[in-house]
Parts: sequence; structure tokens; C-alpha cells
Amino acid sequence: MIRRRDYLRLTTQKLGLRRKRAVFAIISVALGVVVVVTANSLMEGVRDVAVKTIWTEEIDPNIIRVYAGENPYEFGPPNEGQNQKAKKRVQYLSESVFDEIRGWAGVEAADRPVSVQPVSISQFGKRPQPVVELQGVPEAMLLQYVTDRARLTGNTNSIPLVVGEREVQLRFDEKHGKLENDPAGETTWLGREVTIVLGDNYARLSGFIYDYAKREYKPTSDDEITTQRDAMERSFRAMYDTTIFSTTLTLKGRIVGYCPGNKVLMPFDAAVMCEKWLEQRRRLASRNPLPETDEVVYGDRGRRTPKAGEYPEGIVLVKPGADIEEVAKRIEDMGFSVATRARTFENQARAFDSTVHIVKLVAFAFGGLILGLACGLVWSTTSKTVSDSRVDIGLFRALGATKREIRRLFLGEAVLQGVLGTVFGMVLGWALALAISRWVISFARGQVFDPEEAMLIPDSIFSINLRFCILLIVGAAVVSLLAGLLPANRAANVDPVKALKRE
Amino acid sequence: MIRLENISVEYRLKSERVLALRNVNLHIREGSFEAIMGPSGSGKTTLIQLIAGLLTPTAGNVVVSGENLNNLDDGKISAFRNRTIGFVFQFFNLPSYYTAVDNAALPLVFAGVDEGTRRARARALLAEFGLQERLEHKPDQLSGGEAQRVAVARALINNPKIILADEPTGNLDRETGTHVMELLQRINRERGVTVLMVTHDEKAAAFAQRVIRIEKGELA
Repeated sequence: MIRRRDYLRLTTQKLGLRRKRAVFAIISVALGVVVVVTANSLMEGVRDVAVKTIWTEEIDPNIIRVYAGENPYEFGPPNEGQNQKAKKRVQYLSESVFDEIRGWAGVEAADRPVSVQPVSISQFGKRPQPVVELQGVPEAMLLQYVTDRARLTGNTNSIPLVVGEREVQLRFDEKHGKLENDPAGETTWLGREVTIVLGDNYARLSGFIYDYAKREYKPTSDDEITTQRDAMERSFRAMYDTTIFSTTLTLKGRIVGYCPGNKVLMPFDAAVMCEKWLEQRRRLASRNPLPETDEVVYGDRGRRTPKAGEYPEGIVLVKPGADIEEVAKRIEDMGFSVATRARTFENQARAFDSTVHIVKLVAFAFGGLILGLACGLVWSTTSKTVSDSRVDIGLFRALGATKREIRRLFLGEAVLQGVLGTVFGMVLGWALALAISRWVISFARGQVFDPEEAMLIPDSIFSINLRFCILLIVGAAVVSLLAGLLPANRAANVDPVKALKRE
Repeated sequence: MIRLENISVEYRLKSERVLALRNVNLHIREGSFEAIMGPSGSGKTTLIQLIAGLLTPTAGNVVVSGENLNNLDDGKISAFRNRTIGFVFQFFNLPSYYTAVDNAALPLVFAGVDEGTRRARARALLAEFGLQERLEHKPDQLSGGEAQRVAVARALINNPKIILADEPTGNLDRETGTHVMELLQRINRERGVTVLMVTHDEKAAAFAQRVIRIEKGELA
């Protein structure tokens, strides 16, 4: 009866004799394992980051965002040729659609969101991310963010504004150049009078640069700002009468409430007025104004540009307590796309999960293929060891080794190759995954425009799934055991008489 | 000690039936030193392979120390070989990757003896055979005589009752061969181990107490 330690000793000694071949087999197993372990170590982390960075809090739980859908009943213009496939057109939202939705039980308001830009709010000018857009929303929607109605109906002609929480809960410390949480942010800003500069083309100029490595803001140098400004002016000069285009209109605003995310909301009517003023200015400044025409224009994929009174986007405010999903479903039935907080999160998470699943499947299939080939190598190495060890096997049998012990000896050799390869591959895989994780994190931080979002990106997406690792080692041991079974049986059945015979 | 009763061994060589041993009856006493002589292919080696349980006879019984080897399964016959038989081969059969000590201790690995005991016993035995300076040498660093002495030590390490030697001097020069034969004789006399030796060499056979001659598979 061979002792367990002696099994290991005899096996490693045998393997050592065919070092090159064994190393090749071990590396092959390791390569397969590297692919699988790397994918597994990263995918869990990537999913985790994705779930954490889905910005669903920007979508109010009572709001449904509606987008133009494809109308399957409208087809392309008849003169485009018979062979051309029928094209679907975008079905836009319109006043009649909003009227219909407004009539449903559970709906508080429905309208298009009016986007007013470029715009700057002087008091926010020193913030790292300047406000460049105001969004006009129905009164009812604005009202749900106003806690003190008296502020809304004050004896002032300033425009009420609702500011996104992210705009006021962060404070820029100019002295240290750092973005900090401002616990008193809401009280600091509530009721404050602000100056809205309508048509501020330079609102996008950022006075600060975010250093992702240090997670700090640094003031942009004067030269850099001048360069940015020059580049903007060059592009304006190519398209507009810059005197008219640079004309701004100053309005007064006051902060009356807070909404989720980082939008700045204003009443629908005021936004429409601002939009009209900006549109008129643009038309005046434009050297080649677009002719007013009823001609239908088809863009990419046969999409028709919206006519007057058609809108690509809408917002629907659902009454508190109403079933938002039921309303969303009815809007979908009209042929539009909808987004709610729950759906956005679920859709993004689901889409991400399916991507992760596919990537994992591909990696596992690829790794499995390499592991299959590696098993072939384990089989070949063990076979070669058996062929080369015939005399030794005969000797061992003559000295008292049983067939079972000989079989175990060679099975051990195959398992040792598989397990060594797996452990080696696992360590390599973790090292590779760590390196990729570092690269991905630095790349992601460089890609995310919003530094606040970048702050949510963790330092690493690397994770170790212990259960998976144990399963992998056990799996590798079983597979290499199977790979070594045939040669080990051959070894066990070596006839010692023939093996020891020398002519 | 060893009893062969009506032994016949037959095997097939391509389509031809070859009778290696025919109706052999042999009795070998405990503690004897016997030589088996005969021309090549006469069945000498087959005879000792039968006694070692490496070969099963087509007919007849092989009884060693009261045990009928025909009735033993692989596990039991392996244990029997490990405990009862010591082998000395013409070409030494010392694995090249083991040192003299490891080679001598090899049968103890299959007996489940721990490493410390194994090496101590092997060292003592090799020293007894004058190899104390060669303990950690590998076979290719040993002379023919030294290698065969390591093989004899390996055959003795388990204190077997029988040593089966297949042409132990066949690969050695005359002088070294004589030393090995003297060693086997000493083992036989001092330890009472039964030695059964296959040889072509009349001088080697002269060390035996009895010479068994075999021709065409039959005892002469």
C-alpha cells in the first residue's frame, strides 16, 4: 500500500522526467483557465459598477418620459420606386396626443418639455459644471417640487425656478479647489434671486478642469479659456451674424424648490417665451435662414422631420397614488416609447445582464475550447509517460505494486497537470483581471463627462468568486482525471513480464 | 518452500502455439541455493516468473510457502511478491532518476513504509555491501558491480524468503560477477534466504547447491 505522500513524490518525479511536455500541458490548461477566470473576475465587478452608476434618481418616480415611436401605418413617399421597401416613419407627439393623455384618470399633466439653451445663471457661474439649459415643464409638475407655495406667488416678477438637488448639494471650495458636499445647500439656495442670461453662447465654457486621478477640480488657465472662446467664435462667425447672435437677454429668476437629478426647471409658459426669443434671434443672425416650407423631409431610415406642432418628446406627470405602469402601458399602446424610473433601471440592468451573460458565454466557450485542447495535451503527456515508463512499470509491478496503484500513479500525474495548470491559470487570470480592471477604471473615468458620476466609479471592478474558483479546480481535476483514464488503464495493464524483457 | 505441480505454460506467438513449459514438477527446499541452467528459450525465465506470480500457468499449481498462487487476486499476489520475493535482474533495472538509497528502498514504498525508516534500512544494507560512499549516487554514476550490489540490496530490503536472480552476472565481467555470486552465497548462508538463479554461466552455477537443467520446457 503506497503512502499518500509517496504517491505525490512518485508522480512529481515522473512528471519531472518529461518536464518540457508537462510544462506545455500545464501552460495550456492555464491559458484556458486564464480566459475563464479573467472574464469571471471582471464581469461581476462590471455589473456591480453598472448597477451603481445607473442614474435613475434623475427620473422622478411620478414622471413618464415619452418619446416618438415608429408608426407602422405610415409608409414612405409613393414616388420612391416600387422596389424600395416600405419605410416606417416616426410618429411624433402632438397637442391632440397630449390632450388625449391629459383626459386619462391618474394623469396630472402632459406636455412637451421645452428646452431653453444656451442659457447661464450668473450665480451658478462659479460652479464646476455651469447650468446651460433650462427645461420648461407643466405647472403641475413644477408645483410638486415647491414646498412653500408662498414663494411661488410672491409679489415679484421673477421667474420661479426648481433646481436639481445635485446642483445645490455640492459646493466648490475655491480655496482648496475641491468639490465638496454642502449639507446646507438647500437652505442656502432656497428663495435666492438669480440672474438668467438668455442666449449666453459662452455658458459652456468651463472655468474648471477635473483631475480624475486626484479627484479634484483645478481652475482652467486663462490661456485655455481664451483658446476655447476663440474656437467658439470662429465657428459662430462661419454661420451667424455674430453681433445679433451674441445679443443676450437678462431675466430675473428665484429658486422655489428642488427636483431630483441636475436639471433646472422653469414654468412651461416662461420657457416657451424664452424659446421663441432665442429662435427669433437665431433666425435673424443666421446668414442663410431655412425657407418656411410644407415640404416633407425624410432623414435617415426614412424618418420624417417633425412638422410644426409635432414633438419628438413629451413628459407625463402621474397623480400621486396612481398606477404609473398602467399609464405608461397605455402610452406605449399608442405607439410611443416610454421611460419611467423603474423601467429605466430594469431595462438598463437587464440589457447589461444580457451583455454580461453573452460576454461570459463567449469567454467560457473560448476557455472551454482551450481547456479541451489542454486536456488533449494532458492525455498525450500521460500517454507518453506511460510509453516511456514501461520498464519502470514492469519493475514496480515486480516489486509489489498493484494494478490499482499503478493506475492511481498515472491518474495522479494527469490530475496534477490539470490542477497545477488551473491554479497557475487562476493566479495569472487574477493578475490579468486586476490589470484590466485598473485600465478600465482609468478609461471609464476619462470617458465620463460628469465628474460627479466619475466619483461613483470605484477603484476596482475586480472580484474573486471563491465558489467559482473551487468549482473550477474540482472541474479541472475531474476533466484531467478523465483525460488520464485511458493512459492510466494502459499503464495498469502493462504486462511486467513483457516490460522487463530485454532482447 | 516452492512446489511446482504439473506445470505447463503455453502462449501464442502470432498464430503459432508455443509450449514454454511442459508438465514440470519441481520442489525447492527452504534456504537452498539453486541454479537453473539451460539453452536460450528453454523456459528458465518462465519458471522464475511463475514462482514470482508474474505469470499464470496454463495448467498446474505453483505453491510458494504453502500459498497456491493460482488462487490469489492482483492485490494479494502483489503483496506476496513484495513480502516474499526479491528480484535481481541481469540489467539491474535501477531507475536512473533515483539514487542508490532510493533504488534500494523502492520495495518499501510499495509496502507502505515511511520515508525515514526506508532510507535508514537502505543505508544500512548498502553500507553492509560496501556502498557507504555511493549512497546518493545515481545508477549512471555506479560501476556494473556497484549497480548490481544496489539491486541485491533492493532485493533484500524487505527481508524476503526467496531471491529470484535472472542472469545476475550476465552483464558483468568475470571478477565482478564472482563478487556478486559471493554476495548471493553469503546472503543464502547467513540469512537463510532461498536463492533461485537462472544462469548460462557454469562458474556462477558452481556457487549453487543444486543445478536444475531445463531443455525445451522440460526438466532434464
